[in-house]
Amino acid sequence: MVLLSRIWAFVARDWLVTVSYRMQFFLRVLSVLIAVTTLFFISKIFVGFTDVRFAEWRDPLAAWLTGLAVLNYFMTGFSSLANAIRQEQMQGTLESVLMTPISVPTVVVASSAWDFVEATFFSLLYLIFGWLFFDVHYRGSALLALVFLLLTTLVLSCLGILSASFAMVFKRGDPFGILLGTGSALFSGVFFPTQLINQHAGSGVASISKILPPTYGLDGIRRVLIEGQGFSQVHEPFVTLLAFLAVLLPFSLWVFGRAVRRAKREGSLIQY
Amino acid sequence: MSEFSEDRSITVSIDHLSKTYPVPFLRLKKFFRRKFKPPVEALRDVSFQIREGEIFGLIGPNGAGKTTLTKIIATLIQPTSGEVAVRGNDTVRDDAQVRRDIGLASAEERSFYWRLTAEQNLLFFARLYGLSGPEAKRRIKTSFEMFELEELARRRFAELSTGNKQRLAVARAMLAKPPVLLLDEPTRSLDPIAAARLRSTISSLARASDSRVTIFLTSHNLAEVEELCDRVAIIGKGQIRALDTPHNLRATHTRNEEVSIIFSPDVADSVNLALRQTFTDQSFTLERASHDQRWLLKFSREAEDETLDKVLSVLHQSRAIVRTIETKRATLLEVLEQYDESERDTRGRRN
Repeated sequence: MVLLSRIWAFVARDWLVTVSYRMQFFLRVLSVLIAVTTLFFISKIFVGFTDVRFAEWRDPLAAWLTGLAVLNYFMTGFSSLANAIRQEQMQGTLESVLMTPISVPTVVVASSAWDFVEATFFSLLYLIFGWLFFDVHYRGSALLALVFLLLTTLVLSCLGILSASFAMVFKRGDPFGILLGTGSALFSGVFFPTQLINQHAGSGVASISKILPPTYGLDGIRRVLIEGQGFSQVHEPFVTLLAFLAVLLPFSLWVFGRAVRRAKREGSLIQY
Repeated sequence: MSEFSEDRSITVSIDHLSKTYPVPFLRLKKFFRRKFKPPVEALRDVSFQIREGEIFGLIGPNGAGKTTLTKIIATLIQPTSGEVAVRGNDTVRDDAQVRRDIGLASAEERSFYWRLTAEQNLLFFARLYGLSGPEAKRRIKTSFEMFELEELARRRFAELSTGNKQRLAVARAMLAKPPVLLLDEPTRSLDPIAAARLRSTISSLARASDSRVTIFLTSHNLAEVEELCDRVAIIGKGQIRALDTPHNLRATHTRNEEVSIIFSPDVADSVNLALRQTFTDQSFTLERASHDQRWLLKFSREAEDETLDKVLSVLHQSRAIVRTIETKRATLLEVLEQYDESERDTRGRRN
């Protein structure tokens, strides 16, 4: 209950900061609409050209919109956690936040809460604009898709915690963010089927997509939302994501604990 | 100064505290044969206790270890050795409980959210302290009244003057009504009237009969420390050099005090003669104080000896009328300067 009220405090704070920049908010909404419209016209080029092997890509607009919506969410799961401490450090507010009876892990989670709210809004916006203006239809279980979304976000949050530990100790932006961001866009099947990598770049390069959690998340969500598959058909990416989580969660928490202790020992926790 | 008593319970206990900032990534630097600066010893074997309701001052030159000590008490930095306990709770093992018991107000302007109003800022921190909505709002209202910030409640933090930002920082530190308050130069940017008001508030917090607040104060304003603090520690190179009441610190530094007496009418010659006859080994300076036949007599004496009484007799016998008497003892600034000089001497000898 106390944790929830603290998370709420951060969400309320960030909401107030966001509404103080109203124009920026509306410009972001507009940019999503422009992106969806652009993708709609590009998708018209491919009408009738879709390879039958890629069932999820029969309607490329639906595939791109789910890809972008989900990538937006995944990246928030990763980068928001990684940047939470860093942002407070740079603003100079970390000291005053840490003077309250709140633990460092709570600060990390609560500082990211608003980003998740915002990401949910903008991710939904991709899907809603597609449905509202461009006749994109989704089928299958929304609940199952949500489970995939949460699971993949949790896995990426573990990487985010590792990145936050890095930023806390080295006082530098996260190097994992750049790799994971560009890597996911290229190798996880956001814009094209991952099978094409194997076909054109060889199995060595294609194996990169296999070690990226978003590949499994996106695959699962698309199969559920676009092809309408049930849990028995998508259990493989689901189990892989669970395995990622089982390894990364304890490891990232252990590394984070050590990073906090180190920063307190060195007296650098509140420095940037 | 607050009414401070030795028999009160110990609120902050610092026991053989040392802090050396380690060299980051020492092994890596050694492996790659990179140059590195030696570890910085910020605190060495610091021990003292602060009692409930006491206003305790910490003074020292820049880099003496004041901030490190404050941040260790605030649980933001871990000590290398030794222990700090706040109301019996260890700052490393029970850090969350310690933070419930302390409020920190520093002169750092960037510790607030600039796009939010003063009220929104305090509401955010009140929620982090676990205060419920109505309770938080009630406390914020009281704090605004106490620090005379009511009219600025709905102004964005960025729009507040430096002095008001500082008052808001103290108001925030008091939000959860902590029994211990850490104040880092609380009046640094305040105008004299606002500073005096804040000092009065600080003093009343420690004196409140229902819930006395223990205050740990660092400041470069030594007059403020003298006015407010029950006891003062002088810190230099990470070590406590002296710790006592401001009165005793001054007395330890020098027993002498300067006495200035203004008298009239123009009987300087007879006063001068009488002084020479009465005091054989005491020097006096006598100069005209103003145009209306007033004279200024200056001399130094050992505190509370009989010299002043004898001088007054001489003046009386010489038919002088004493207009004013001023005595000036060593200030904390002079005490601090003495320790600073002795430190520089030690360093010079070492080099």
